[in-house]
Amino acid sequence: MPQQEETEEHLRPLMIRGLEGDPAAHRELLGVLGRYLRGYFGRRIGSTTAELEDLVQETLLAVHLKRDSYDRSLPFTPWAYALARYKLIDHFRRRNRSIQIPLEEADALFATDNPEEGALRTDLDRLLQRLPDRQRSLVEDVKLQGLSIEEAARKRGVTAVSARVMLHRTLKWLNQALRDENG
Amino acid sequence: MRTADLIELLARDVRATPPGVVNRRLLAALVAGGAVTLAFVALGLHCQPLLAAVQQSWFWMKAAYTVLLMIAGIVITRRLSVPGARVGGAPFAALVIVAAMIILGVAQLLSVAPAARLALWLGHSWKVCSPLIVLLAIPIYACLIAAIRSLAPTRPARAGAAAGFLAGALAATLYGLHCPEQAAAFAVTWYTLGIAAATILGAITGSRLLRW
Repeated sequence: MPQQEETEEHLRPLMIRGLEGDPAAHRELLGVLGRYLRGYFGRRIGSTTAELEDLVQETLLAVHLKRDSYDRSLPFTPWAYALARYKLIDHFRRRNRSIQIPLEEADALFATDNPEEGALRTDLDRLLQRLPDRQRSLVEDVKLQGLSIEEAARKRGVTAVSARVMLHRTLKWLNQALRDENG
Repeated sequence: MRTADLIELLARDVRATPPGVVNRRLLAALVAGGAVTLAFVALGLHCQPLLAAVQQSWFWMKAAYTVLLMIAGIVITRRLSVPGARVGGAPFAALVIVAAMIILGVAQLLSVAPAARLALWLGHSWKVCSPLIVLLAIPIYACLIAAIRSLAPTRPARAGAAAGFLAGALAATLYGLHCPEQAAAFAVTWYTLGIAAATILGAITGSRLLRW
């Protein structure tokens, strides 16, 4: 299956470079995955559903937070597919709908891509309002003003390490909050 | 927050991560949980006279049985802790190990006089053996579940079963330091029953505990 191989050859190096600390590779990987996730989930839950984009975001957060669990010696696409399928099953289960999601080959995830971002039911920015000011403002500096972690840390007089830890904790918290919100 | 903004945010959180996280977390869980269970065995149940026991073949026969099951359990748990890995032949290997032990146990029973067989099979502790193994598996299971949760199990019930099986096999190995029973038929019945119960309890609880 040539398309599958292309995807694998394209995405696996991006994943590995991201794990080695390359933000540009990680950004590109998540961008590509986001489009495929939207296509895959859209086929399963309807591409106009208000929950679609939430599920895409939740899964991207999971890909990011769980990327430690990827074994660099193995193909990447089965890892991504299994994670996406789990998130889809979890999505239905939390709505008490029992739907059989067939276990397909990994290329099921990469069959359709959809670059059109849909509307959100749960806005992460709204969830962020629940956080203490210093945590929220760090995210805003990084996201809205495009500051690097180092710049954002300097601005508030903390070390880059503690700013990194805070950002990482915030992302973990967001992941949980988004799940709770949509549960 | 648009998805593109979220991706930007996630890219800012990138740091170099060393490989081998999965193995390290599972190993740490086994060591931590195993240490607690070992303490319960040594301080609560007391070890049998080990200097004498290690010179006996039955001691090593039981140890080999539970350690082999444990190795299968490590392979299965490791694979079910992360997305997309195939479980492979390890569950089959575990069944082969149990089958070999059953054959050994039956052969041993047949080698003694019929009147002595029941006593050999039940030993002195058949009533407490399986429940004790399940209890001793709890600390190990708890540590394993915490480790697996931090990874990414995509089949929670199976991952829970694997964790229960592995916890049961390690608990049975440590219980062997206490248990002076000598018959293969004893071990393959009551040890295996304890490990099987831990596996089932692991599947039931894991399907809830391992959601993320």
